[in-house]
Amino acid sequence: MTDAPTTDRWIRWLNTIQLVIAGIIILTPTAWMVMSSFKPSFEVTAYPPTLIFSPTIQNYIELTRTTPFFNYAINSMIVTVGSTSLGLLFGIPAAFAVSWTRISWPAILTLAARMAPGTLFLLPWYVMFRQVGLIGSYTALILSHAVITLPIVIWVLLPSFDSIPRSVFEAAQVDGCSVTRILWRIAIPLVGSGIAVSAILAFVFSWNYFLFALVLSNGDTKTLIAAAFNFVGEGSTQWGALMAAATLIALPPLLLAMLVQRWLVAGLTLGAVKG
Amino acid sequence: MASISIRNLVKRYGNLTVIPDLNLEIADHEFVVFVGPSGCGKSTLLRIIAGLEPISAGELFIGDRRVNGVPASQRDIAMVFQDYALYPHMRVYDNMSFALELRGTPKAEIDMRVKRAAALLHIEPYLDRKPKELSGGQRQRVAMGRAIVRNPKAFLFDEPLSNLDAKLRGQVRAEIKALSQQLKTTMVFVTHDQIEAMTMADRIVVLQNGTVQQYDTPEAVYERPTNQFVAGFIGSPAMNFFPVELQGEQAVFAQDGSAAPIDAESSSRLRKSGKAVLGIRPEHFAVAGDAAAGATVTVKLVEPLGSDTLIHFDLAGAAAIARVEPSLRPKVGDRVTLRPQPAHIHLFEAESGTVLR
Repeated sequence: MTDAPTTDRWIRWLNTIQLVIAGIIILTPTAWMVMSSFKPSFEVTAYPPTLIFSPTIQNYIELTRTTPFFNYAINSMIVTVGSTSLGLLFGIPAAFAVSWTRISWPAILTLAARMAPGTLFLLPWYVMFRQVGLIGSYTALILSHAVITLPIVIWVLLPSFDSIPRSVFEAAQVDGCSVTRILWRIAIPLVGSGIAVSAILAFVFSWNYFLFALVLSNGDTKTLIAAAFNFVGEGSTQWGALMAAATLIALPPLLLAMLVQRWLVAGLTLGAVKG
Repeated sequence: MASISIRNLVKRYGNLTVIPDLNLEIADHEFVVFVGPSGCGKSTLLRIIAGLEPISAGELFIGDRRVNGVPASQRDIAMVFQDYALYPHMRVYDNMSFALELRGTPKAEIDMRVKRAAALLHIEPYLDRKPKELSGGQRQRVAMGRAIVRNPKAFLFDEPLSNLDAKLRGQVRAEIKALSQQLKTTMVFVTHDQIEAMTMADRIVVLQNGTVQQYDTPEAVYERPTNQFVAGFIGSPAMNFFPVELQGEQAVFAQDGSAAPIDAESSSRLRKSGKAVLGIRPEHFAVAGDAAAGATVTVKLVEPLGSDTLIHFDLAGAAAIARVEPSLRPKVGDRVTLRPQPAHIHLFEAESGTVLR
């Protein structure tokens, strides 16, 4: 028989081992990416990979010299902020409506849309946006990215709204609030951290989404992630520049997540326990 | 200020009918308490008045206005919820001023009304606090304050005392009653606690299965219950019921064979003889010296309460309680002769439970 403290110690060890394994799986490609971006071009694909090398920023210089990188960054920012805002604009009332009416099929529908492969949307969208002359516009990109952001906002906020006691909304009704006003004055202020979390997640997913921008953008509206694909050539791939681009692309979501780390965890568990 | 009139009201949830057909007139300025066991429809009825539940059929008037389908926000009523339902993100002041602000009341008047209500409820020191920084009793007061500032047509209370401890409950109960006398507004109060109903109400509505069993003053409900359900629900400890055989001017306890004389008025109610249920409140037993004057029982349990003593015993196959003088301290196993006071005997039809008059 094992006594309790020994079992506890074992569980702690197992937890640590799990975390280390997960960390290695998640961080190795990231570390590889960051290191490669500082390696001379020829060393990036060297086998076995070099761990000790003299770092250079040549890849970054090459990146900014050969591509309008900052324009792409601005495009990405416009599309991401636009689609996140759109997701919030419609997702917040939608999540509230689902929570309020307890009619859940619209939320499930958005989830199904999110689960469907992006390629499913591409052709209809391409045809539709071409019909209205929006191919290559920010509008097309923002609207298409709302497919990513809207379900995230709805599904992150749904448990937050559900966790507010019904009687609080009823008290507001009796006090003279319309449903719209309840949303605005009571519900939204009470799910602040949930909204922050949904906004960050929507931002990250939209920022990193590659497929729609690849097809629906043009040279002027191309997003970073689609532009980075340019470094993958048919004959040769510029791995160094690609890694430099990838590193820079990963920075904004990373900074955002670090800034609001505490909120993020609190918001993700929101609704799990009633306060 | 307004009367509330409920006419042929029906409430269904799908196939389930919770209120089959209800009529009720609540007068202006009246304090009415809905009381009944869990699931009797009292909270549903209150929520229907508030506009939080739709009506399946029938009519509801607040004052002269038919409010079927009128949203809660436009009924001009105030409600105090069981869990208080304060807005967690607002200070106490804002919780109280919110409804007035929605109605576009001038700031100076809002301030005046909030401060007046706060003074009335002794919550002035907490106006800048958030609800989570308050105790249960303080939150309860804020919830009442939020209702008071509105100056509404009617106040609705949904079991507002059930989350308070016993001492505080008694205190707030008295305060609500005092408040109702001060405010002179129509008040509807829902509770499952018959003591709250008895102490606060001008009139009590006793509900069971969505139907009104009796609607009368606390005294009438207590002294002249219309059926066995009301008789058993109102009063603590509850009224004792015994199966009896009516024979002329006396009721003979089934099994036991001892008889309780019935007073002239009661006996005139009972032209017929046969099986019935005799109801007698614990305080309406007299301890008789003469064994022939009542039923002799064996004491099962003694509960000295200080002000009086409760004796538990079995009679005619039913467990019963008698409330006797505190000086009388029988021991378990003692034989005591108890005589139901004829003037306080209630007789009910054995089958339907309807009072025999």
